[in-house]
Order: sequence, then C-alpha cells, then structure tokens
Amino acid sequence: MNGQGEHDEANEAPTPASETVTPEQITADQVLPDEAAIEEVAPAMVPPLDEIIANVSPEGITQVAAPRKLVHLRWDLDKTYLQTNFDSVKDLVKTFWQKPEDKATVAGAQALLQSLMDPADRQNRRVTFISGSPRQMRKVLMRKLCLDGVEPDMFILKPNLENLLRGRFRALRGQVGYKLKALLLSHMAAETVDEYLFGDDAEQDAFIYSLYADILAGRVDAVRMAAILSTCKVYRHDVDEIMAYHKQLVGSGDVVRRIFINLDRRSPLDRFAAYGARVIAIYNYFQGALLLFDAGLLSARGLVGVLAAMATAGYTPERVANSVQDLMRRGFVQPPALAKISEAIDEAERAVERPARYFLQKFEEVVAGLGTLTRSPPPWELDINYLGLYHEARFHRQQHRWLGIRLLD
Amino acid sequence: MAHIVIDTCGGREAGAEALEAAAIASLQLDHQLTLVGDEAELTGKLARIAHDAERLRVAHAGDPVDPEQDLRAALAGRTSITVGLELLARDPEAVFISAGPPALIVAAALRTLGRIPSVGRAALAAVYPTLRPHGPASDPFALLLDVGATIQCTSEDLVTFAAMGAAYAAKISSIERPRVALLSNGTASSGAPPRVRDAHRRLLQGPPGFEYVGCLRADHVTSGDADVIVTDGFTGDVLLRTLEGIAATGELLIKRAAEKFQWRLGVQMLGDGIAAIREFTDWENYGGAPLLGIDRAVIVTQANSGRRAFLNAIRLGVKIDRLKVLEAVAAGVAALRTKES
Repeated sequence: MNGQGEHDEANEAPTPASETVTPEQITADQVLPDEAAIEEVAPAMVPPLDEIIANVSPEGITQVAAPRKLVHLRWDLDKTYLQTNFDSVKDLVKTFWQKPEDKATVAGAQALLQSLMDPADRQNRRVTFISGSPRQMRKVLMRKLCLDGVEPDMFILKPNLENLLRGRFRALRGQVGYKLKALLLSHMAAETVDEYLFGDDAEQDAFIYSLYADILAGRVDAVRMAAILSTCKVYRHDVDEIMAYHKQLVGSGDVVRRIFINLDRRSPLDRFAAYGARVIAIYNYFQGALLLFDAGLLSARGLVGVLAAMATAGYTPERVANSVQDLMRRGFVQPPALAKISEAIDEAERAVERPARYFLQKFEEVVAGLGTLTRSPPPWELDINYLGLYHEARFHRQQHRWLGIRLLD
Repeated sequence: MAHIVIDTCGGREAGAEALEAAAIASLQLDHQLTLVGDEAELTGKLARIAHDAERLRVAHAGDPVDPEQDLRAALAGRTSITVGLELLARDPEAVFISAGPPALIVAAALRTLGRIPSVGRAALAAVYPTLRPHGPASDPFALLLDVGATIQCTSEDLVTFAAMGAAYAAKISSIERPRVALLSNGTASSGAPPRVRDAHRRLLQGPPGFEYVGCLRADHVTSGDADVIVTDGFTGDVLLRTLEGIAATGELLIKRAAEKFQWRLGVQMLGDGIAAIREFTDWENYGGAPLLGIDRAVIVTQANSGRRAFLNAIRLGVKIDRLKVLEAVAAGVAALRTKES
C-alpha cells in the first residue's frame, strides 16, 4: 500500500480509453457513456437546449435565483433524502433488502422536493440524485422515488460491485473521487444557471460540493486540484478523469448558490464555518425551505407544504420555531424577512386551509425572545483551505471510529 | 413535554458547563430547552458544540448577575434570573434551573411567580444520601428542607414545610406515607426553641398523607430514620454545608494519605470502595434543590455546578413535570389546612 498522498495503482485495473468522457460527447438526449451510472429519467420534460439558453440572460449567472431561470437541484440520497442507517453491517444489509415502500424519507424532504418541482415551474428545474448506494439498488430506489412522486432528471449510483471486482477497496468507502466525478460529469450533461446542492454531515458532502462549486467558479487551479485529489487518495483512473473534466469546466461560472447540509449527526456548526456562507448546515428541511423561499425559489404554498409535512412527521410548533430562531441567530434570516414569511404563510394557509396559525404564533414568540436582534450572515468564503479541511475531517472520523461520536467535541 | 429554562450565567466556567449540559440534553431528551443569557455569546458557544437546535431556544438577557449587588437593584435588571423567571411565569409547564445566588432566585421567584394557596413562605428542598434507603425504589436520598430560602420560620411555616416535603417525597421517591421529622437538639421537644415545640405539638395531632416520627438530632440525619427532615432555612443551610464539608474533607484526607507509599498502596487497594463512597456523597449527582411553595418549578443548583449537576437538574425538572409534583405539593398543603380547620 502506498503512503498518504500517493495513488494506489497496484489495486487498479486498466481502464478502457473509451470510458473517458469529453463534454462534446454529451448531448441533451444522449445516454451517457457510463450508462449504468447516469440515467435520464424524464427526457420528455427537458426543454430543448436552445430554448434554455434563450431564456437565460448572461448577467443572470451571477444573480441570486429568480423565477423562470433554469435551476439545477443536486441531491444526495442517503441521510439527505432518505432516512438511512449505516451504523452497523446489520443496518447495511437491512437497507439493501428493504422494500421501496418501507424506506422512509427525512421529514420534509419529499414535500420540499415536490414543491421545488412544481409542474408550473418544472421546465425550469433539473433534479439530479447522486448517491453512494450501489447500482444494484437502482430499481428499488427508483421505485421509492416514483412512490414519492419525485422524478429525477438524472440518477447516479456508485459502481461498488465494479470497484470490488477491480480490487479498488478504498473506492468502496471513499466519496471524493466518485462524487466529484459524477458532479462534474452531470454538470457537463446539463445546461445550468443556478445550482442548489443538498447533502448531509455523515460523509464529506460539504467538502465535495464546495470543491465542485469552486472548480466551476475558477478558484481551484489544476495544481491545487491535483494536490487535493492526491491527499484524498483518489485512484489514478478517477484522478485522470476528474482532471480532464476540470480542464473543461474550470471557471465556467460561479453557479452554485447554496449548499445545504442536513445535520443528520448533529455535527457542531463550526465544522462547516470554514466553507463560508455558501454552505448552510440545516437541522431540518423547514430551515432549507425558508432559505429557498427567501431566495425566491420556493413559493409560499410550497413553504406551507413543507410545514404541513413536518407537522405530519411529528414536529411540534416549538421545534419548528426553534429552528427558525436558529437561522435568525446565525444571521441567515433577518426579522423583517421573517415577518414577510409569516405573511406569506398566513396568506397561503387561507388558500389551502392548513393549520399554520399556531406555528406563526410560535414564530412571533421566538422573535420576541431575541429582543432587537440584527445579525449579518457569515461571509462568503473565497479561499477555502481544502487540504486542511480534509485532514481535519479525517481526524474527526478517526476519533469517532475509535472513541465513538463524542457529544462535546 | 417539559419546557426546561436554564440560566447559563451561573455554574462552573462562567456558565459554559450549563450550556454544555443543555446541549447534551437537547440530543438525549425530547424536551424543549430555553437557554437564558447573552444571545450573541450563547450563539457563538453553541456553534462549537454538538446540539439539536430543534430543541434549543435562546432568550436574551443582557445584564450580568452580580452576587454582591443589592437585591433590589438586581431584581430591577434584565438578568438571566429575572428573564428566566418571566418565561416561567408565562408557561405553566416550564421548569427553571439556575446556579445563581439562592437569595436572588428566591426573591425574584416570590416577586415574579405566584405561591401555592395558603403557603406563606417558600422552602428549598435539598436531598442528601443516607445509610438506609427510602421507598419501594430504594432511593438512597432523604429530603431536607428548608436549606436557605426562609431564614426565620414560624411553627406554621415548619408544619407547612412538612406537608410540602412529604408530598414531594411521596411523588419523587414513590413513598406512600413518608416519615417526617423535625430537626432539633434532642429527641424530646422540651429543650427545643418555641417554634419547634409548637410545630411538634401540631404535627403530633396526625397530619394527613404522612407519618410524623418526632424530633431528630443532627447526628441521626444520615441514618435514614426519616424520609423528610424539616427545619428553618438558616439551620438547614448550615447542616447541609457541614455534611458537604465533611465529604470534601474525606476526599482531601484520602489524597493526603497518598503521600506515603504504604498508605498509597492501601488507598489503591480500597480504590473501588472509595470510588463508590465518592459517587454516593457527590452532590453533583443530586440534581439541585427545588424551591417548594411556588406555583412553578424552580430548581436551584450550587454555584459551582458542573455539567453533571446541570444534567441531573434537567432530569429532575423533567421528572417534576412528568409526575405533576407541584400539583401534589399543593394538594398536600390543602389537605393539611382542611384537617387543621
């Protein structure tokens, strides 16, 4: 086994040259070369590329999302959309054999995704799922998404069996090489203006998504990129592919607006501070919905829908109000914005007859408890130290592995 | 679901351990927690520790608590104690936990909150370990009240404290008829002060809901002969501090014994036993002293309370809410008044 920072070529089987993809090879209706990995689920709903480009103004790229723009939503699956438990081998086996109807979603995730993919706006939205689950689970997972009424445009799963057969054991657990490649590949496959990414704190989603965003924004040059991939012990074959995509996409546009990290493990918020305001750690999807509503991406009706889903999942008005206060204290929601949100919820509630009134009362209590709080959001981090963050995350993972997850760390 | 309001300005490390205890409780318990203190400071500290923001809320209190400050001035400020008690007044299911100065907490509670009907004075009820366990659950703790809320008591107050303490012990330790004693300088009441003699006479008439076992000398406090021991706030505070001082002195003596090699060997051999005694006498395990006589649950913890003491106080608060202890205390006092009239 090679030392840290070197590629493990001994375990790696040679890869046919034809598997390397260039953006020219990908068109809107073409099945991608790694056909088992990326599946275009609803090509009929995708408008022609010319139409998409015509609808997008060049200056729109740097603006915060506004209605009628093409928005790409990229979701992780396990612990982000689905409630999955991977803590033991037993859990892993159970998850593998679980029926689609037995799989539970994270409270509010389904409602949020459905609201974001509202038929009225569907032609302006793309949804990609990039999951670390093995490709053998595609049928079950697709069935689950179908049951939830969620139709992704792309659905990417990890080639774990292939990794196993090729002796690429590090790739079975590692996420950086796989997810980064999938993100870059799917970015080339779809024209996008704004991107919103959803992940969790169980893996390295904040790291990978931020790196992806910075590649597109041109903040990570080839030398730095190679150093990061080397530190993350990505296999040579994946490094070559990622570097090829990097060459094509670097500086193509600062399109990632927000990265939402679902705090499934309730990790300390400080762990994500180094990524800046683009990464927002959320305790539940109502927090995400609030921020998307504030950004003009989600309707008031959608927000009420998420609230109703949370209530159905057992969320009390106190719990929801607490999470609203959390966002306010962190500077992501300002009291005037909350007043607007309350108005919108009130309005939408009258239209759909949902019991949000008690929730609104709790929101007001929350604001009253803070006095005259005005806090600016954290700064947008432009120079992220990825190598340092990788080592820090590795340290925490090892600490958790040997000492268990500490309540205070 | 209980609502625990925690004053984060008191306790060890200027309230940092109270905050950590609240963060742990937010991850382990399904209850609403409100942290009272400087909002900006709390938000900054919370970001560094794992917590569940869905169960935590912050209420801003800008003024610091100064133990040396004049009581009237302290009550006029927006301190974590006054703000926390205001929250308590608005929510009947809330429980307030503070490691602030007991005198300030008692004064603020009496000013902000209501009292249980026909209760003249409040009492702080502390638990301490005894040799004989109490109740069907073999609870190792007995209840001592008052330990500092009411410095000077009348016989009326002592009888009321007996009824409140008995009702509290009956609920918390599941004792059907708690044994109640009056702390005195002898088993006969003749040598006791008039207020104790009068209270003894009234309690001998057969109070409802508990068994009066007579006067108890201080050297029998730890024997476990009584489930509830009643005294005035001054004496109770002195007694409790004495017991804690003896336990702390024992700790120091063990440490001093380790200075000689042979003794150190002996201490090592007795390690498990010493650890068990230490665990038994450690006040951080008790959770704090509830303030009885108020119509809301207030728990006062020691000024140097750490994470464990706060966590146990939170658990005690949850138990008080779950078992409806305050209602039981009110019912106990009402039954006493009915019997006496």
